[in-house]
Amino acid sequence: MSADAVTALALSIRVALAATLLNALIGIPLAYVLARRAFRGRALVDLLVTLPLVLPPTVTGYYLIVVLGRRGWLGAPVYALTGWSVAFTWYAAVIAATVMALPLLVRTARAAIESVDRELEKAAFTLGRSEWRTALEVTLPLAKNGIIAGLVLAFARALGEFGATLMLAGNIPGKTTTVPLAIYTAVQTGEMGEAVTLVLALTVLSCAVLVLAGRLGARAA
Amino acid sequence: MKHRFAVEITKRLPGFTLDVAWTAGDGVAVLFGPSGAGKTLTLQCLAGLIHPDAGRIVVDDRVLFDAAAGVNLPPQQRRVGYVFQGYALFPHLTVAENVGFGLRDRPRAVRDTRVADVIARLDLGGLERRRPSELSGGQRQRVALGRALAIDPALLLLDEPLSALDAPLRRALRDELRSILSGWGTAAVVVTHDFTEAYRLADRIIVYESGRVIQAAPRAELLWQPASEAVARVMGLRNVLHGTVVKAMPDRIQIAWRGHTLEAVNSPTHSYLPQPESPIAFFIRPEYVRLVRKDRSAPDAAHHMNLMRGTVAGEADFGTVWSLRMRLDAAGAPAQGDFDLEVEVPHLVYEILDIEHDRHWEFSIHRGSIHVLPT
Repeated sequence: MSADAVTALALSIRVALAATLLNALIGIPLAYVLARRAFRGRALVDLLVTLPLVLPPTVTGYYLIVVLGRRGWLGAPVYALTGWSVAFTWYAAVIAATVMALPLLVRTARAAIESVDRELEKAAFTLGRSEWRTALEVTLPLAKNGIIAGLVLAFARALGEFGATLMLAGNIPGKTTTVPLAIYTAVQTGEMGEAVTLVLALTVLSCAVLVLAGRLGARAA
Repeated sequence: MKHRFAVEITKRLPGFTLDVAWTAGDGVAVLFGPSGAGKTLTLQCLAGLIHPDAGRIVVDDRVLFDAAAGVNLPPQQRRVGYVFQGYALFPHLTVAENVGFGLRDRPRAVRDTRVADVIARLDLGGLERRRPSELSGGQRQRVALGRALAIDPALLLLDEPLSALDAPLRRALRDELRSILSGWGTAAVVVTHDFTEAYRLADRIIVYESGRVIQAAPRAELLWQPASEAVARVMGLRNVLHGTVVKAMPDRIQIAWRGHTLEAVNSPTHSYLPQPESPIAFFIRPEYVRLVRKDRSAPDAAHHMNLMRGTVAGEADFGTVWSLRMRLDAAGAPAQGDFDLEVEVPHLVYEILDIEHDRHWEFSIHRGSIHVLPT
């Protein structure tokens, strides 16, 4: 394996892990709220979270540029203040991967949380537990396998992210070139040996992740 | 111990309105009635899991809910133990963790002592480390009871506590539950749609129908003096019949029914005195109808009280008793479809009298066995 391939693989794993962590922090509370709370705008939140699942990744990437790019809604004030922009950094790759993977976690975790018997939560209330503590001690532990399966899926999705990453983070070798981007570059430049190595590496990694998710999913069911 | 609690709640749901008021005290109060009458909804209002639209809930002088005063304690602060229909044990926790779940705020040593005490009293020793999935139905019920009792609740609520069990276990656990409840001395409210269960468990029975209370009385009073035809029907009483008042006196009442004049004892406590010619409902327990033996002369005049004649129009074998559907030798349409009166006889009597072949009988009903249902 070439040094560039190893760099790309290391970057991909780093980005996927960071995106999975962000997914856990954002996605699990979001899944809980969507599953258990009725609030105004719930359908809208659900729609926004799910949208990257059905939109072409380039479209999602475009929206990310509109929001976070140097001239974006959020990106412009940040750039004006600090002279720094998230676009074309490895953080951008993490953000792109997070947004693309979020629907997989939220949908899986939400289904798992919804399948927890509400009587158990009511029982916890009558035994003095607040809703917050009930979620931590009853609901989430019982939805654990579904949530972990969702995280594994999110990790796999983040690992394979291409379109949105290319839009927001670009293809900068050693900085934002993850494995899928490196494969694309290798094929474009005719380095078939490099491409095959990376293709096989990503295939093996993704298979391992899916097998793991399948096992956890089976236990959750 | 002296417990008092008063419930007065209104809750409007799409297509259903709960509007009930009742009181109870020491011992077990049973909410009895058909499914969908609002019994479980009442429990959830008591526990604070559902917010009533109006009313007041007071337990031992502690106001849990008062719509007018804006009081609504959350379930966490009510100190009301709830045993759910399917027990709702935490599947990821052990028996000991389930029982101790409500004691989290107590110091560790206090909690452990209390859990050990509850486990010992409910005969769950040795099962501390088991998960709910590794327990029998009866053990699960005791864990659910223990978890609710561990917090020393001011009031214990049990929703259909025996419905998750099969018939033989149900009977055994009914009596066990009764002794646990009386042994623990906690005031309890039990929901059931089974009258036998209600009668076995209750000190006081509150009869629900379509979101309202149609009678609240000590259990014996309910059994012998259902307050109305609606109560009799909810109780599943058979031979609920309609006649016309001939004459009503404080101790006796005469009723015209199917060409006969029946004499019944009037309700001594309710002194019900309807006008002659007014319609009246009454019921006759099938097991209190006496067939007149043809091979003997009647021993006394009382045996011929409310004497009637009829033919067996249908019968059903219930294993220990035969149910005979008697059609009277009287003109006009039978009172209950194709028969007038259901009569229950033990197997032995059925065989001795050879009812299988001898279908025409005289029978009598003691006046004390005809129960008037006020309207």
